[in-house]
Amino acid sequence: MTRNLLNTSVFRLSLVYALLFSAVAAGGLGYIYWMAKGQMEQQTDARLQLETDALLNLYRSLAVEGLTGAITMRNSENGSRYLISRLIHRSQQDLTRDLKFNQDTQRSKQIVASLPFSLITGEKRHSEPARMMLTLLPGGYQLLVVTDLKEQHTLQDRLLQTVLAAIGIIVALALAGGIFMSHNVQRRINAVSRTANDIMSGDLARRMPVTTRNDEFDSLSRVLNTMLARIEHLMQSMRDVTDNLAHDLRNPLNRLRNRLETSQFQPSQPTDYPQLIQDTIVEVDELIKTFNALLSIAQIESSAQRQDWVEVDLTLLIEELADLYTAVAEEQDLTLSYHAAPGLQIHGNRQLLAQAITNLLDNAVKYTPAGGEIHLAATQQMSNITITVADNGPGIPEAQREQVFKRFTRLDNARSTPGNGLGLSLVKAVAELHNATVQLHDNHPGLKASILISR
Amino acid sequence: MNILIVEDDRQTASFIQKGLTESGYIVDHAADGEDGLHLALQGNYDVLIVDRMLPKRDGLSLIQILRAQGMQTPVLILSALGDVDHRVEGLRAGGDDYLVKPYAFSELLARLQALLRRTQPAQEYTTLRVRDLEMDLLKRRVTRGGTVIPLQPREFNLLEYLMRHAGQVVTRTMLLEKVWDYHFDPQTNVIDVHISRLRGKIDKDFDTPLLHTIRGAGYLLHDPQSA
Repeated sequence: MTRNLLNTSVFRLSLVYALLFSAVAAGGLGYIYWMAKGQMEQQTDARLQLETDALLNLYRSLAVEGLTGAITMRNSENGSRYLISRLIHRSQQDLTRDLKFNQDTQRSKQIVASLPFSLITGEKRHSEPARMMLTLLPGGYQLLVVTDLKEQHTLQDRLLQTVLAAIGIIVALALAGGIFMSHNVQRRINAVSRTANDIMSGDLARRMPVTTRNDEFDSLSRVLNTMLARIEHLMQSMRDVTDNLAHDLRNPLNRLRNRLETSQFQPSQPTDYPQLIQDTIVEVDELIKTFNALLSIAQIESSAQRQDWVEVDLTLLIEELADLYTAVAEEQDLTLSYHAAPGLQIHGNRQLLAQAITNLLDNAVKYTPAGGEIHLAATQQMSNITITVADNGPGIPEAQREQVFKRFTRLDNARSTPGNGLGLSLVKAVAELHNATVQLHDNHPGLKASILISR
Repeated sequence: MNILIVEDDRQTASFIQKGLTESGYIVDHAADGEDGLHLALQGNYDVLIVDRMLPKRDGLSLIQILRAQGMQTPVLILSALGDVDHRVEGLRAGGDDYLVKPYAFSELLARLQALLRRTQPAQEYTTLRVRDLEMDLLKRRVTRGGTVIPLQPREFNLLEYLMRHAGQVVTRTMLLEKVWDYHFDPQTNVIDVHISRLRGKIDKDFDTPLLHTIRGAGYLLHDPQSA
């Protein structure tokens, strides 16, 4: 698991992010620490300067003797080691030898330095550093003002510790966050791959897990689920086609075989042969038609033909088809009227749309009794286009309207008419390819088939 | 008329060969793409029938090589691959027509005749004539024996196609494709109805019928006395 985690890109990314974030935070805190430290030192020096200036004022008015008295009083008054002043004669202890004057400070006769406290007190136990300001006075005197740095250093140490602790916590939190995040992501990904594995091993009904969080993983899962549903539907319809094909082609093939067999064993007049051959050809043609229809439905359903879509002038197409079928309708003693709203354009496959409308017209012509009326129309409402083929034939009972879209479905009253039960399946497939729906309604009496194309 | 069939399936090849020979053509056969290319480049053929999926060299590359060599012989592609894409691919590769298996022999023959007709020196007619039936393409007027026959625009196009292919069998599929531009089979025989209407106009009131139905194949517009 650990090795897995280290291998994930999410973890590596969060690690890089954590390190980057920690580096920035450490830099910021370090800067604050450095500024604070400088500020403290400046304050110490300012305090030393202030004390020195006060003592120098006394010196100017009271000379060395007065100053010594004032220093002793101030030292005992302060009572702390925080600020100690001394007036030392250079013959007694020349501090300038211990403290190096540099060029600039020498001229001003003042020097500031940090030294071990023991140097001033002479006691070994005062080993902590102290800050001192040494001012040279005329007559070999040197005024020393010292402050103990212990408290300042304690404060600085504490500050440093706080800063280091904060950096440590930030790094730890960033790492923990990274691990948590990548673990979480890994868990979701694992769930998806487990499901994918299940599906690959044959469980087509499995779907990707979707949580209530509605995050990007959920939307990914939903897209995958839609895809899986589509695949399952395609597989199912393929299975249906195979089953139906095996079942529905058995009859005509058997008829064909019987006819050939009969003619083999009961030789008829040679003059009968042309008729026999003609009938056989018709039968085989029907089989080929069925196969072609099935193939084109399967092709349309797999949406393989969307690349050759064009802008189709639906108004013109309706007029052409009405023209093509008016003659057919008249032949059957039917009246075909049509209405196409002007300027109807849709993006699609002209051949398939024509074939779908043709199939509806075929049905209308086939099932409407003599004297009936067929109306072909294309109308537009808002951006929705409706193509309608209405007749006043027997219609389809409401209970069977869903069923007729299934392949090879032939209602009882259609058994006597030619056809393979694939016409409406094709209409449905073409409609779905064009993001449209097919609806069958009662035309009181008759059937009204509509293709609703919404854009 | 010499025809070369490039087809690997022996049964199909001999079936076509037999049919075409009976129809009066001289037929050669090549069983694979290499042989086919060799024969096509050497022999003097009027039309080639080429299967797409062939051993050694596929039909499309065969046609492409012929076209690259500047050979203009019309090619009819025969294939089990019948998608729009496949057909477009075949025609773009240099095929002149494309027939999808399974097909009726009558249609193969009709399409071959249409191809052969096209190779004859192109002549732009303004008038088409079959016996006493006359079509003036400029005035879009049809007369028979001097009598004007009023035709709907679509009927005119239908008759024009039949007259341009006079003497040749024209299948229902060809008519639907060429006159209406629909590349599918309607379940009802709409073409039959339109033909019978046309027949009603051009033949009914005259002694000699010109428009004939060829059973199981299609239609034929011809002058019986010229044959």
